[in-house]
Amino acid sequence: MEILISATLGIVFGVGIHQMLRRNVIRSAIGLVLISNSVNLLLLHCGAYRGLVAAYTTVSGQQSDPLPQALVLTAIVIGMGGFSFVLAILYVFAVRDRTGDMARLSQLRH
Amino acid sequence: MTNDRLIAHLVLVPLVAPLAAAAFGVLVLSRRPRAMARLALLAVAAGVAAIAAVIVHIAATGEPIVIHVGGWQAPFGINLVADHLGAVMTLMAQSVMVGGILYASRCKDRCVTYAVFYPMMLTLAAGLAGGMLTGDLFNFFVFAELVMISGTVLTACSDNRRGIEAAYKYFYISLIAATSLLVACGCLYAAYGTLNIADLSRSIASRPDAPLAGIALALLLVSFSIKSAAVPFHFWQPDFHTTAPTAVSAMLSSVVVKLGVYGLIRLTTALFPHDESLGGLLVMMGVMGVAVGGLGAAGTHDLKRMLAYSTLAQIGFILVAIGWGSPAALAAAIVFTFNHAFVKSSLLMLAGLVASRTSVKSASFGAITGVGRSVPAAGVLFLIGGMALMGLPPTNGFISKLGVLRAGVGAGEWAVLAALGVGSLITMVYVTRAFQRVWWQERPEDAPTTSPTRDSILAPALLITATVALGVAPDTLLRFASHAAEFLAEPGNYIKASLGGGEP
Repeated sequence: MEILISATLGIVFGVGIHQMLRRNVIRSAIGLVLISNSVNLLLLHCGAYRGLVAAYTTVSGQQSDPLPQALVLTAIVIGMGGFSFVLAILYVFAVRDRTGDMARLSQLRH
Repeated sequence: MTNDRLIAHLVLVPLVAPLAAAAFGVLVLSRRPRAMARLALLAVAAGVAAIAAVIVHIAATGEPIVIHVGGWQAPFGINLVADHLGAVMTLMAQSVMVGGILYASRCKDRCVTYAVFYPMMLTLAAGLAGGMLTGDLFNFFVFAELVMISGTVLTACSDNRRGIEAAYKYFYISLIAATSLLVACGCLYAAYGTLNIADLSRSIASRPDAPLAGIALALLLVSFSIKSAAVPFHFWQPDFHTTAPTAVSAMLSSVVVKLGVYGLIRLTTALFPHDESLGGLLVMMGVMGVAVGGLGAAGTHDLKRMLAYSTLAQIGFILVAIGWGSPAALAAAIVFTFNHAFVKSSLLMLAGLVASRTSVKSASFGAITGVGRSVPAAGVLFLIGGMALMGLPPTNGFISKLGVLRAGVGAGEWAVLAALGVGSLITMVYVTRAFQRVWWQERPEDAPTTSPTRDSILAPALLITATVALGVAPDTLLRFASHAAEFLAEPGNYIKASLGGGEP
């Protein structure tokens, strides 16, 4: 399970970075979500999470640390707020500039 | 006893009052921007008064004030720790935020009439206060996110069409900082099983070479450097200044970057005080900041952008002082941080004031050459603020630089001091050039006409007054900062205050 989670979060993070560096703003927003989710997975992993039982179980030897799960909940909420803001920005780009190309959107010069 | 409890609850005011006012404003006052502005001003001013009372208490007793939120003893619960550093930083942030809201309430931008504007300013204030007062690293992350989201929304709602683009960039870069901080939280939790800063400080001191601790240090350093716009993590910073509303850019460049500075001070004094390479790295980054910021400011063609670059240089001075790490240097860093917020916010407001007189509402030198001649009072204020930026008496900038100089002489760091001296000379070049172009030169014949409306001069005048007052009577601040530095020099003080001395 440990190796599976580690490998998954590594792959998701890598894909996220790759998407984020693309020129299309929608793809880079998808990269943003992937990265924040892989970090959530990492936090979950810090609490010896096995995914077998709930955090409040009384079965000895099966417990996992509830605190990282609380942290992940908070991080998910914050991530959702941030991502909805990014979607709003993308909407403005789509309506006003009619392009998703980062190079054409970038007009702030020195 | 009851008096102590009352004082303890005052620590909550800078956090709770703006959040409550923001919620009330969104629900009730969304169509009445003037009433909303008054409420916002009141809420943040209440925060200033409360934190000032807390500071008086701390100065009298020498003991920090700790609140265990929800009644759970730290490190199991989350606590708020108003120690010397946290309290003085909060006072700075809240006072400058009062100036920012005052400027916004008397400016001609359309964006201040939007329903979100003042609530977002208030959440910005609350996020700053929370980040500087919390004793928990994950809580710091939450408040830093609050600051970042408020800052991006405020930038995005600017009158300038490109505000959205600037907000988008700012958001992405800040998100990298936030992600680094979150991963660092994960690493530290996996290594030490706690996220309370005091508890972490104790655990790291006893087991400094736990796996993941080094990674956590690197990630925290990256995160705080991005937040404080330290070179080489600065590239996002000048971009949004040309587009953000004046009141917002004045806040982002003066107090929001200080959240990162605060984080760096905590990093070097509480979390990793025994790491030898950290100090040298910060000094190097600081010198780079002074060079890049100074040259960038001298080479740019926009007054607001110039001031943004100058922030990089000033942050460089602070990083150098933090990097030296002696009590004298830490005191100098705190004084510098405090003073710079007032100087930079007032200068950006004056730039915005001049820009508001042009028909294109731009602060590029091409548009504002000679515009200042119709507002000579702003010129006088700009000159005083510029003197503070250069470090000339009788302004507080002189006090700041004197502190850094003394600390450097004490440490025998002559090469670094020489670099800082050259940086100060460059400051002189670009400030006088800007003053000359805006307030001295004749307006070109073919330039577009100036509009009669302009923003009020009240807020920058008040902030400049504070600048001069802090320069003429710096004793109180200096004394408090040196107490703060003594308190920080021994990590045990913070641990004892936060955790109550007993073993968990």
